[in-house]
Amino acid sequence: MSQITASEQSTHRQDDAPPGADVPASSQGRQPRRLRVSRTTLLVRAAQLVLVAVWLVAWDLTARNQWITPVLAKSPKQSWSYLVAAVENGELWSNAQATMLAVVIAWVLASTVGVVVGITLGLLPTFERILAPFLDAANAMPRIALAPFFIVAFGIGVQAKVALASTLVFFIVLSASRAGVRSADAEWLRLSAVLGAKKRHLFWKVMLPVATPAILASLRLGLIYALLGVVGSELIAAEDGLGQLIAEYSSLFRLEAVYAILLLLAGIAVVLNQVMAAIERRLLRWQPPADH
Amino acid sequence: MNSPTLHTNTANAQRFGTMISLRKSGVTFANPEGGSRTVLHDIDLDVPAGQFVALVGRSGCGKTTLLNMIAALVEPSSGAIEVRGTSPRDARPHLGFMLARDALLPWRTAQGNVEYGLELRGTDRATRRQVARDWLGRVHLSGSERLWPWQLSQGMRQRVALARTWALDPDVLLMDEPFAALDARTRVSVQQEFLELWQSGPQRTVVFVTHDLGEAIALADRVVLLGEGRILDDVEVDIERPRDLEGVAAHPRYQELYDRFRASI
Ligand SMILES: Nc1ncnc2c1ncn2[C@@H]1O[C@H](COP(=O)(O)OP(=O)(O)O)[C@@H](O)[C@H]1O
Ligand SMILES: [Mg+2]
Repeated sequence: MSQITASEQSTHRQDDAPPGADVPASSQGRQPRRLRVSRTTLLVRAAQLVLVAVWLVAWDLTARNQWITPVLAKSPKQSWSYLVAAVENGELWSNAQATMLAVVIAWVLASTVGVVVGITLGLLPTFERILAPFLDAANAMPRIALAPFFIVAFGIGVQAKVALASTLVFFIVLSASRAGVRSADAEWLRLSAVLGAKKRHLFWKVMLPVATPAILASLRLGLIYALLGVVGSELIAAEDGLGQLIAEYSSLFRLEAVYAILLLLAGIAVVLNQVMAAIERRLLRWQPPADH
Repeated sequence: MNSPTLHTNTANAQRFGTMISLRKSGVTFANPEGGSRTVLHDIDLDVPAGQFVALVGRSGCGKTTLLNMIAALVEPSSGAIEVRGTSPRDARPHLGFMLARDALLPWRTAQGNVEYGLELRGTDRATRRQVARDWLGRVHLSGSERLWPWQLSQGMRQRVALARTWALDPDVLLMDEPFAALDARTRVSVQQEFLELWQSGPQRTVVFVTHDLGEAIALADRVVLLGEGRILDDVEVDIERPRDLEGVAAHPRYQELYDRFRASI
């Protein structure tokens, strides 16, 4: 019996029978999967609502029964009243604006530099070997300890916040870009070379696209870290910003205001994260869904 | 047994005569311990234009290295090599290349992947679109143009790779175990597709690396056996064309050649 006819008899996946007869691997299971996803999404959202409610009740009970030190025991209702008043007198808006401005500047600046440096290091391994220990050392430094330095250097304006946040974002984006650009499959490069790809083709058409998922993920993380860095810097010293408000109200023992602002920050972080995730999904349409 | 007389009568052959020619070519790799290892030595091989050559041999015998040399991915350490009358690098615009794994770019649709090679070679957008669509049609993938690679089955992916290769209209096709990663059934259907493409167009020179002896005999005009860094055997298949895979397997010559090579693979 010959090799080819013998192999024909072994059965395997059915999706390649005669030429032209096969079906996209995903087209069959697709409709039901999307339905299933939306049903689980509903379940997830409902569970999240329940958790929030449980947590609010627990908070309220703790405050009402004074289960912790009275100074800390402020109820959700008290925080809510502060929030309403702070929105009305404009305090919340102007400070949130100051914080977000610093976040955006730090994020854009540090991400841009981080992507460029990361990709360069990824493409120049020798260069990277020289710099690696220094980068690791810099990244291991507790960045909040740099805050006094930046405040003395730049004053209590927006620069000091941006500087501190940038030191966080920069390294996150740098290491992701560096690793991403290196993850190009050797066979893609081999094939591209034979098909006539020049260096610039390899960069734009292979290395950059292959690094995109890692870079986008790091930008998402970097945005949250920009927020942490800015608020941290404001806590230490700043003329405005949500962090500065927290510091002020803490010193006045107005914990209901502190809670309200912290929750607001958490809310901002969640929204930023969701926005970035949506952008990611849009740009990475070509990736299979997670459950594939 | 090492000196077969070869004859082809295609238009390409008259134009270029010998498409690929290796003269006493050898490849030596340096290994990390500081020594060196000769993978190929004294390879003499002439491939006339339009001929379909299968390169067989045990794993690790240097088949990929030989193919890489023709594709200018590996420099010969000794000897000379000419492709299409020039250096391998200058011949690259006339090469097509296919690998065991389809090497589709996951961020490009089926259509985008077929266009990839054309894009690298500077073809304008409208032509690219048209050519890619045509070739996807030829490999029975009309309607799948906008699917991402992960949405395609293995066989469909390798057909996209076939279309990508053919869209470049290459004079020489270099294929490194192109169907080895496919399961048995899929392999037969893609082989058939490939054979039809090759037999239907202007005859292109093919160097086809495989460790599947049946595949080598069924598809090729000539089978070259590689081992111990040199050419051990070189035979013309001599089964008339056009062929179809089932017909070939029943041919007495098929069995004869199969027996001849089996011991050395
Ligand atoms: N770039 C390289 N450097 C060092 N050794 C190599 C390199 N490429 C291949 N080899 C060695 O050459 C031998 C032949 O490899 P290859 O041509 O891939 O064999 P085949 O394709 O026939 O399986 C193998 O032993 C392999 O380890
Ligand atoms: Mg190989």
